Amino acid sequence: MFRNKAVVLLVVLALLLTTVGVVGAQEEEEKVLRLNMGPSDVPTLDPSLATDTSSHQIIGEIFVPLGRGNEITGETETGMATWTIEETADGTQMITFTIMEGISWVKYNPETDQVEQVLDENGEVRYVTANDIYYALMRTLDPKTASDYAYVLVDAVKGAKEYNQANLDEVSEEDMAALRDAVAAKVLDDYTLQVETPNTAAFNIDILAGMWFSGAQPQWVIDAQGDFWSEPENIESYGPYALEYWYHESGIGIVANPFWPGTDTVPQPKVTRVQWVFLQDTPAFANYESGLLDVVAPPLSEMDRIKADSVLSEELYISPYFCTYYYGFNVTKPPLDNVHLRRALSFAIDRQDLVDNVTKGGQEPARWFARPGLLAAPTMETDPELGIGYDPDMAQEELALALEELGLEDLADLPPITLMHNESEGHARIAQAIQEMWRAELDLEVQIATQEWGVYLDTLDEDSPQIWRLGWCNDYFDADNFTRGVFRSDSGNNHTQWSNAEFDALVDEAAFGGLSTEERRELYVKAESILTYEDAAIVPLYWYTTVSLTKPYIERTYALTGAQRFEKWDILDH
Amino acid sequence: MGTFIVRRVLWMLLVIVVVSGITFFLMHQVPGGPFSRERRLPDHIIRNLERKYHLDRPILEQYLSYMFDILIPRVTAGETGRSTMSDYLFNIQLRGDDKATDENEEIFLRWMNFGPSYASRTRTVNDIFREQLPVSFQLGVMALLFAIALGVPLGILAGLNRNTPIDYVSMAVAIAGVSVPTIVLGPILIWLFGVQLRVLPPTGWGTVEQAVLPVIALGAASSALLARLTRASLLQVMHEDYITTARAKGLAERMVIGLHAFKNALIPVTTVLGPMFAALVTGTFVTETIFGIPGMGRYFITSVTNRDYPVIMGTILLYAVFLVFSNMLVDITYAWLDPRIRFS
Repeated sequence: MFRNKAVVLLVVLALLLTTVGVVGAQEEEEKVLRLNMGPSDVPTLDPSLATDTSSHQIIGEIFVPLGRGNEITGETETGMATWTIEETADGTQMITFTIMEGISWVKYNPETDQVEQVLDENGEVRYVTANDIYYALMRTLDPKTASDYAYVLVDAVKGAKEYNQANLDEVSEEDMAALRDAVAAKVLDDYTLQVETPNTAAFNIDILAGMWFSGAQPQWVIDAQGDFWSEPENIESYGPYALEYWYHESGIGIVANPFWPGTDTVPQPKVTRVQWVFLQDTPAFANYESGLLDVVAPPLSEMDRIKADSVLSEELYISPYFCTYYYGFNVTKPPLDNVHLRRALSFAIDRQDLVDNVTKGGQEPARWFARPGLLAAPTMETDPELGIGYDPDMAQEELALALEELGLEDLADLPPITLMHNESEGHARIAQAIQEMWRAELDLEVQIATQEWGVYLDTLDEDSPQIWRLGWCNDYFDADNFTRGVFRSDSGNNHTQWSNAEFDALVDEAAFGGLSTEERRELYVKAESILTYEDAAIVPLYWYTTVSLTKPYIERTYALTGAQRFEKWDILDH
Repeated sequence: MGTFIVRRVLWMLLVIVVVSGITFFLMHQVPGGPFSRERRLPDHIIRNLERKYHLDRPILEQYLSYMFDILIPRVTAGETGRSTMSDYLFNIQLRGDDKATDENEEIFLRWMNFGPSYASRTRTVNDIFREQLPVSFQLGVMALLFAIALGVPLGILAGLNRNTPIDYVSMAVAIAGVSVPTIVLGPILIWLFGVQLRVLPPTGWGTVEQAVLPVIALGAASSALLARLTRASLLQVMHEDYITTARAKGLAERMVIGLHAFKNALIPVTTVLGPMFAALVTGTFVTETIFGIPGMGRYFITSVTNRDYPVIMGTILLYAVFLVFSNMLVDITYAWLDPRIRFS
């Protein structure tokens, strides 16, 4: 009897073990996430050269920057380093980064299908050090690298502007070396990097730590492989994922890096592989419907059907995207040099109608420029009346004032007005809707003109039209990147010809005044009011959103900051 | 024949010089530049970029240096330096090996550097040729074969059965093929076979199944064109005196058509095959975009939008070479089809 019991126990134990074994095997089954990147190839994986969201997406997963913008709040949190910020007596900040130890450089080996640690010439594992981060910083600033985004970085490192702006044709090599040495960044030891900023701007840390170029770069690979170092056969990285393949124009894939230790902010990935194809939204949606893709951005032409469909509507999610779509005035060109006319035009646009019936992507009607959600930006909860919105009565009133000031009896006496946008079906639909609104509300006829994109950009620079359209998206997650970055009177992006000393003083104070976020917000409220209502230099139209469809078995976060964090995603059994 | 080909190749060189010159100076005249962005770059950043890509040099110097880089082979020692500025299509080793020393340095004959892409900053035009052109070439050749296999027999069938239901049906199919553009046909095929029936993959490239839909979508319009041309040409030939003569001799109808009519009817068809070949194999924007095929087609469009000068030059020259080359093949085919045509 006893013996029997023992046998039963053994059998039960064996069964249990088998079950555990089976469960274990199931758990080891790979989780593969299938996504679409959009119709075109990823332009580059070189963090110093990247300028676009698809490059940032991959770079952010394979090269973790010093800090990382939290994908929901946007606040810069720990990435590869922690830091302390000390204000100096000279009105600068001394930022000391302490870099995480034991993060090894890795490379994907297609023969073994494994991510492997990289060894140095002595056969030792290579770890990410402060030198690798210093190298990356200096490479981005080197005028020979010709990095687009160096222009953002130079504002956050003392001495960087002089180095990056040096004209290589005129400055001698010794002088270049001196300029290079004058850049206020230094490696204190293997895991400590110190950077001095030129001012006390609240967002210096966001630029230095939180942008895609703020990570480490492998100097030994770049020295050996030159411009081709970021191709899959050469690239070495260290983040939660490593580059697995990159078939140009066809697809790109990353694979979990087992040597990434996992931190509170950047955990170890649960999804083993993330694979993108490069497809236009319509064929991508067809793949989604056939179950070949897990997440897509649906074509807007299908939105009505998706919202009506009981399954698809459950999988639909609309989240904010940190861009603003706006029309600008050239305030020097009559009759738009008249502020009342500009206000009348802005008041007469029904933005809700525009997003409901024309753009259809769930966009939010914009009352001002800096998109809510950015750090220190006004929000609809705190400042619902700020800026400007649809108000037909005010539009009439302002129009009457405008005519009176201009000394005109009749609208027909107004000089002709032209609205210009770059050629695109979407922009054309918006322009035509607004043309119709102005006709209906104000009885005003506006001509629409279009230009090819490159030509249009030249026109904006050289002689901006009476009314023109543009969009603006965030580089770093702060209202400064919008309000001061675009419309300060000396900004190269300010095509309005408008300048206002009070506005400039407000945005400078908000940037460099050493104020709290709340105090800064109050200054932006005043500045935005001048920009969009008092001087009405621009017409904010809508704040962007992204629309996505996600299969129900995907557990995910919806990143508001552009780049998704796949180490926080999971795929459930299905 | 030999002199004919040599003469044609020399002509081709002249065409390339003329085409490249016109393209080069036109594209530099167009407003907007490769570094114009919605987010305006500061002047010094643009200066750094222009310096890197030698766009700060006089325009004539830029053109001559570009032409020199693609036309004149050069002999260099050692590696070229891993830069997008010096990526050659042909690297022929003349001397030395891996264990080369200073005295016995590796020597390479290098030829055809089409320059870097400004938009994909870690790739070159030669990378695009190496990776994307073969894909477009495969798709184009398959689509062309499909078009010929479907269009020519359909045209003959219609021509021989003129004004019968067979003729009407064939021509209705052909007209539908010409009228329905790929941008409509493609998504319909994807929706039907990829989403509803799920018998074929909706997009992608690399397997036979993935090729079926794009080849049909791309070949349909061309096959329709060939069908109508074959029919018209056949009808015209059938009215020629020599056909009447052949029939009067009592030749079997099968011989009349197979030997005399068909070959002559193919001359106009061959004429359009040349440009059709060049257009199909160098990449087709719409088909490749709809079916997610990693081919060349997109570069013809985006290079112009981005003012990506080397890619504009590369794609235009590629197309020009294919056009001249396929027209040369067409001329050789003429001689076989019609003995009266001689290479004189």
